[in-house]
Amino acid sequence: MSLIKLKGLEKTYQQGKIAVPALRGVDLEIESGEFTTIFGPSGSGKTTLLNMIGCLDKSTAGEIIFDEHSINDLNSKELAEVRRYNLGFIFQSYNLIPVLTAFENVEFAIRLIEKHSKKERKNRVMSLLEEVGLGEMAHRRPNELSGGQKQRVAIARALIKEPKLVLADEPTANLDSETSQEVLELMKEMNRELNTTFIFSTHDPQVMDYARRLIEIKDGKITNDQRRD
Amino acid sequence: MFFLKMAFKNLTRHKRRTLITALIIAFAILIYIMTEGLMIGMTEMSFNNIINLESGHLQVAKKSYWDDREELPLDNLISPTEELENKIEETTGFKAMTKRLNFSIRLNNGIDELPVTGVGIDPGQDSKVFRLNKYLVKGKMPRAGTSEIIMGTKLAELMGFKNGDYAILLFRTDEDTFNTIDGEIVGLFNTPHPSLNESSVFLPLSTAQSRLNIENKISHYAIRLTEQDQAIPAAKRLNSRLKDPYHAYSWKDAAQSLVTMLEMQEIETQVILAIILTLAAVGIINTVILSALERMEELGMMKALGMHEREIVYTFMLEAAGIGIIGGIMGIIMGVIGLAIFNINGIDMSALTAGGNMTYGFPLKGTIYAGWELNSFIFVFLYGFFISILASVFPALWAARKDPIKAIYHR
Repeated sequence: MSLIKLKGLEKTYQQGKIAVPALRGVDLEIESGEFTTIFGPSGSGKTTLLNMIGCLDKSTAGEIIFDEHSINDLNSKELAEVRRYNLGFIFQSYNLIPVLTAFENVEFAIRLIEKHSKKERKNRVMSLLEEVGLGEMAHRRPNELSGGQKQRVAIARALIKEPKLVLADEPTANLDSETSQEVLELMKEMNRELNTTFIFSTHDPQVMDYARRLIEIKDGKITNDQRRD
Repeated sequence: MFFLKMAFKNLTRHKRRTLITALIIAFAILIYIMTEGLMIGMTEMSFNNIINLESGHLQVAKKSYWDDREELPLDNLISPTEELENKIEETTGFKAMTKRLNFSIRLNNGIDELPVTGVGIDPGQDSKVFRLNKYLVKGKMPRAGTSEIIMGTKLAELMGFKNGDYAILLFRTDEDTFNTIDGEIVGLFNTPHPSLNESSVFLPLSTAQSRLNIENKISHYAIRLTEQDQAIPAAKRLNSRLKDPYHAYSWKDAAQSLVTMLEMQEIETQVILAIILTLAAVGIINTVILSALERMEELGMMKALGMHEREIVYTFMLEAAGIGIIGGIMGIIMGVIGLAIFNINGIDMSALTAGGNMTYGFPLKGTIYAGWELNSFIFVFLYGFFISILASVFPALWAARKDPIKAIYHR
């Protein structure tokens, strides 16, 4: 079953009087549980595509179907609701809240969906932090964690609400290769265990090696879509 | 609760900035508390001076006299009767009463003449209602049946009189003929009521009545009650028993122009507070904008996670409320210390009123002490709190409405 279906997706940015096309008719289907990488040169449109899939931006033309529902006509509040319950994000620069501990940063995401008791919430956060190898560091603030540890907190934050889809924009860009490998292993493990769909945008060949599906994008168009077993 | 915890933690990001913004609120509150304290002190002292030296707690006069009392007329006076006095004595909380006669005098020293108010007093009773005798700085109170007079040191100085001198009091009698009293100055007083010191001469009631040819008539009865707070209800109760043309007036009725002036002053104080706190609000707006700019990527992340605009606004409002509370507490503490200093040393009004010559219409002079009211503290605290929240709404909305992508990739 398709989790995401893009039909003739176009996005054009207006820079003054000049229209700059970022996506030029993208057709794409992503199944539940996929571990997919979108790659391409800078300015090829991969981040724009990720933002469209992540309900952060609206298309100029075409249709986005998320979990069998068209999201084209949703307003910003409704899009926020879709993100709140269905999506997790992992950012290149982690975007953790510096005044909160690792535990509180993860708790923040689950707080937004308000369907767990305090005890249940605490157990879930602690168990996920332990799974990402940060059980001992739950009460450290981001400035007391290494880059890899921060990204692990961000992964835990993205996964805590058990989203249907996790989007990661260049998640290893700020990490050394050894830490990148650890983080990618962790995401792959989560993908296997929880059957969560992951979509990455990256330049990093190491990330591409982990992907089961590679989508290449150039000048706003998908030029190659390759599945690997 | 989580948002509250996050807001509290956000306040600790830039402790110095939080403290400075809170201090702006605190100073606004301090200024309000001190101004309000000064006003309360001046009001209490003014009212006390009016009660103790001018009106007593209650006055009973004829309605027709009361309306023209500033003119010091000799018509519409009261002819005392036992029945009327019995009714007055039956007033709840009654302590003492005295008769007074106010009339117009030209005070003459042989060279110059000055229009003043002559006040006929009952020497035996007056000190039971008024406190004039406590402010005698020289001599004694006038005795009944004599031509002894007392006046304020300021008036004596102005006319070149000393204690023991004789002053000519020139006035019109009830029949519109001129008469004089060659009054012996037997006492000089210096009260905290400036206009009394400058423009009143006190003499025995019986002497005034006989020289004015008005038999035993008086302007009004002045009454002291056991409690000041009883004055208004007591006047109401007494009026239900008094027959026309007599009417009881509380000290507030007697000081109506002062009460109006104080109400205006109160409005002025509120306007000053509003202006100062608006300036403080600019500090809050600035702080929220700076915080939002610094946290743009975080805000982007929050929006990506599905946080609604109202939740982001709520977080900023909680932070602003926190600043308001910190500023409020600091302001109240500073205000209490300020008032304590005021009350230990007092404020010498002569420094503010050009040596006591300018009173700005307040019946007071000398050293005043600040007053305080719990309600004022609560009001200013809540005012600062709500202004802080209000000031944060627009910058918070601005931050919350940022496009999530622009916020995430904000550099």
